[in-house]
Amino acid sequence: MQNIEEEIKNLIAEIIEKDPGQVTPEAKFFEDLGVDSMMALEILAAIEKKYKISIPEEKLAQLTTLAQTIAVAKEYLAQKEGSHA
Amino acid sequence: MLSIEEIQNILPQRFPFLMIDRVIELDPGKKVVAIKNVSMNEQFFSGHFPGKPVMPGVLITEAMAQTAIVLFASGKNTAQDKKMSYYLGSIKMRFLHPVSPGDQLKITVEPIKMLSNIAIVSAYAEASGKEVARGELSLSAKEG
Repeated sequence: MQNIEEEIKNLIAEIIEKDPGQVTPEAKFFEDLGVDSMMALEILAAIEKKYKISIPEEKLAQLTTLAQTIAVAKEYLAQKEGSHA
Repeated sequence: MLSIEEIQNILPQRFPFLMIDRVIELDPGKKVVAIKNVSMNEQFFSGHFPGKPVMPGVLITEAMAQTAIVLFASGKNTAQDKKMSYYLGSIKMRFLHPVSPGDQLKITVEPIKMLSNIAIVSAYAEASGKEVARGELSLSAKEG
């Protein structure tokens, strides 16, 4: 799984229609990038589809920055890989 | 199955913008299949296009969105008397074949992700055994 950070950044940039350069790790989705709750859900669904993982809806509130989103994705990717071991 | 009367209890849309006629399959919160009978009497055919009637893709999309509202409403126990407004957020759609008078559109909508007030769904429409459109829609619901 090389460079999951870059993949998620590009995926978010595409959904929110911004340049990937604007999606910095700490840019706030709602305040800085104009993300609304529907886009946040689209980001969640796109990550689930791309990595074939299932992220509970309660985690949606944690998707507030790129860094947070990557952390959540990694958490569930680790669980998935753990369950295969 | 839902009759047109039952559909109108769920959907706020009315003539000339009610784009589904009947729900033929309803698995609450999981799957809805609806039909729309397309007739030459549709208002839009007079302009789209004169002498060559083709159902506008945006109206196929609207039929999908209305089917999605039925799916959305079926998945939760909101009182029917609560007035809800529905808003489309985004659409990703591909149109594969033109739809013309005489066609019966069969629209299938299933959730990709559904919360209490937002949903992302996948949708496809068939007519005469052919897939005519498929895509994804996201929509939200608000009280009032």
